[in-house]
Amino acid sequence: MRFHLIVAACAFILFASPVAFAAKTDGTPAAQFVQKMGDKALTSLTDRQLADGVRATRVRSLLRENFDVQTIGRFVMGPSWKKATPAQKSQYMSLFEDMIVATYTKRFAEYSGQSFKVTGSTATGETDSLVKSQILQKDGPPVMVDWRVRNKDGGFKVVDVVVESISMTMTQRDDFAGVISSKGIDGLIDVLRQRAGKVAKK
Amino acid sequence: MSRAANLSTKIMTIALCGFLALSATSCAKSVNPETGYKTGISDPIEPFNRGIFAFNNIVDIVLIEPVAKIYNAIFPSFVRDGVQNFMRNLRSPIIIGNQLLQGDLKGAGVATARLIINTTAGIGGLVDVASSQGLVYEPEDFGQTLAVWGVGDGFYLVLPIVGPSSLRDTGGMVVDGVADPLRLLAHNTDNMWWYYTRLGVEGLDTRARLVKAVEDLRANSLDYYAAVRSAYSQKRYSLIRDERAGDSASIPDYGN
Repeated sequence: MRFHLIVAACAFILFASPVAFAAKTDGTPAAQFVQKMGDKALTSLTDRQLADGVRATRVRSLLRENFDVQTIGRFVMGPSWKKATPAQKSQYMSLFEDMIVATYTKRFAEYSGQSFKVTGSTATGETDSLVKSQILQKDGPPVMVDWRVRNKDGGFKVVDVVVESISMTMTQRDDFAGVISSKGIDGLIDVLRQRAGKVAKK
Repeated sequence: MSRAANLSTKIMTIALCGFLALSATSCAKSVNPETGYKTGISDPIEPFNRGIFAFNNIVDIVLIEPVAKIYNAIFPSFVRDGVQNFMRNLRSPIIIGNQLLQGDLKGAGVATARLIINTTAGIGGLVDVASSQGLVYEPEDFGQTLAVWGVGDGFYLVLPIVGPSSLRDTGGMVVDGVADPLRLLAHNTDNMWWYYTRLGVEGLDTRARLVKAVEDLRANSLDYYAAVRSAYSQKRYSLIRDERAGDSASIPDYGN
């Protein structure tokens, strides 16, 4: 009788443990990386007193530290990347980074008490994980944000942000594709430059 | 009255058959081998769509968005959540029906349990008690059902006021409308105003929840039309698969 109980217990542990591990994934290094990045962003970027220039500088360093901007930029440009000259590539990359910095600087300046919680992570490939998180708002339901994180050269980098099932890089890629097809790569660079000028003046 | 209703039903049926025939014959979305994402929905009538989109955008800016913002400002979030819960509860018959048509018995069970629990314990659907019991709301419509059955998008279609859709999803919307027991009830009791009010409130609730997202996309996209089309296509894809989009996609490793 007792033996049966032990067997049952062992079987239970054996079969239940993968489930238990799957449920308790908040502790994976990728998840920890995202949680740490989120916490750092909330503590260092959201102060209302912060001057816009200082906030932008901090956003840029946090971005470079935690995001694979090179990969994201290349993905967003789409198939045209292969046709672009080195000069076009470097102009585009620098304007693309400026655009992200401007967008997120504004977003963090408008911060209104949201908090951030990693809810789990799944490995999606040899180097990639999808870390799931929720942005908890004071007003309204939580926003689901997934982070595609790549483990590269011994560190983690974000390669995509998926908000409520909509991939930001994919949306931007489709967005840019329209501009490239009508105005070409130089046209895209011009539009990005105009954008940057407009944002800077504000 | 009944003859008119009969005629309109016939017209809808014919229109729907046309929709389905077209959707089925047009090519299905293909998976981009590089990314795993379903790449852009096809848009052969883009100039026409852009026209409707521009019109919608103006109507939105001068009328709908301001109303949505006022709605958000006047009512505290618990009232707005109550409205959403109530509207979702009214959708239950359609959701249950579509879950069954998709062969998703578990989903149908969840939707039925939600209807019973929220209508009773949730005070006529105003409170989403079921969610806290793990019975989470999952939107289903006949467009998704058609997709599960293997019908392709057809192509991208921007509808006046309603916004982004596809040939298939527009057909699905018509079917959901025709089959909705609440519409039939409203129709049979000559209370169609009640049904239209409900559609209006549903639209307002949806738009009011998107205020921030729309502002963001308008400000940060280079081609707002293309960005909305992309977002629509991704969102539908994840709804059809009942999953969060990232699950099936990837970003290539360029080795930089």
